[in-house]
Amino acid sequence: MKKTIILSIFFCSFSVKAQDNLLNLLSQDDEPIYISYLFKGTKVVNGQSVELPSKGVLQFTIQHRFGTLNSGFYNLYGLDNSQVRLGFDYGIKDFLAVGLGRSSTTKTIDANSKLRIKRQIKDGFPVAIVANFAAYVKQWQYTDNQLDDFLFTNQLSFAHQLLIASKINRDLTLQISPTLIHYNLVETLDEQNDKYSLGLGGRYKITKRISVNAEYFHQLNDKINSNVLSFGFDIETGGHVFQLHLSNSSAMIVPGFITKNTGNWLDGDIYFGFNISRVFTLNK
Amino acid sequence: MVLRIISLIFVCVCVELNAQQFISNNGIVSFYSETPLENISAVNKNVSAAYDLASSDLVFQLDIKKFIFPIALMQEHFNENYLESDIYPKSKFIGRVVNIIDEQATVSGDLTIHGITNSIKMVGSFIKSKNSVLINSKFIIKLKDYNIKIPKIVMYKIAEEIEVKVNIELIELK
Repeated sequence: MKKTIILSIFFCSFSVKAQDNLLNLLSQDDEPIYISYLFKGTKVVNGQSVELPSKGVLQFTIQHRFGTLNSGFYNLYGLDNSQVRLGFDYGIKDFLAVGLGRSSTTKTIDANSKLRIKRQIKDGFPVAIVANFAAYVKQWQYTDNQLDDFLFTNQLSFAHQLLIASKINRDLTLQISPTLIHYNLVETLDEQNDKYSLGLGGRYKITKRISVNAEYFHQLNDKINSNVLSFGFDIETGGHVFQLHLSNSSAMIVPGFITKNTGNWLDGDIYFGFNISRVFTLNK
Repeated sequence: MVLRIISLIFVCVCVELNAQQFISNNGIVSFYSETPLENISAVNKNVSAAYDLASSDLVFQLDIKKFIFPIALMQEHFNENYLESDIYPKSKFIGRVVNIIDEQATVSGDLTIHGITNSIKMVGSFIKSKNSVLINSKFIIKLKDYNIKIPKIVMYKIAEEIEVKVNIELIELK
């Protein structure tokens, strides 16, 4: 008798807890949770970040760099001396993006492709890995073309980068970027054609829409160029991302800002610059 | 003796009815925000739900990250700035069917979004056949009830009230 009542109470308590039991019936996630949005933009400051434009998205970037801050009031502290790069990046697949751009001062056309190799997984794979391959053509004029020893291939240079980043928490992301730059033709006999450098970078979100970025490229076998240190702000406003930076390097492409750089922060060779990027969804 | 029989029946009923449960893992929840400047919509096709016939208990659960937007940047802002899916990855509803009249059901319970739980009541069609339950509902939620803050700069692009649609077919669990 008592047993039956106890038993019935036991089963009734089942139905009281049924809502919890029902929740337990629902599928438990066993698929990996990918960590996304490691950076706001596809660049940390000057160098590429592990972010790619999303599939079907065209990103148009206007980049400006001005002269050095120590160039005096006569040059309005560098603002008179501006250079520009216009760039397009397009996401072909979620894991593959291509880009095309042109820099004004060095008259260089660049093309790159970014390939996402691995994504960061929550409680799993700790880093996101992206490979970046880029090729650069320095434009020439017709008169140069008539020189006997002119070779088109001499106008080319290449950059290969492995971008490895980890979102430590929702605000902080760190990235390490081993970089190889190859010049088909260097200017002096002393220079190597292959230049190795190691990039370190990161971002810290100070609000939901503003982050502080920093980036450092250390020259590993290049004694001529200085190391590159840059700081920037990313400001996101709806469809645009504004990036404001200070750097001791003035160029906007990898062979330019890493290996054609003699600026020194302590001497005041600091270049102000900004990027504006806008995304267009072409393919929904 | 009578008591004994009653409790025995009760036990049997409890066990029997507990067994009749309906479940789905591919329900659809979509939402729609309409303003003169911009319409925003997103759909989640991986919603799970369970219904217990005996107790009328009804639960829903979904991953915020699985809402797909036609525009990738909207999806990024939704996850990063508004729903903060890294902190609040799931949304759930725990409630029960209060009554069913002519396949129109009233459901009440607790809806949790963005870490905030509110009691809500909604109506929708509730069509039960032999081994499935089809639920269709449409209701409105207010962003401020769930502490989802819209900055002034995009205030005219995101509606304060969002229309949510639920479409799910639960299959009997055997």
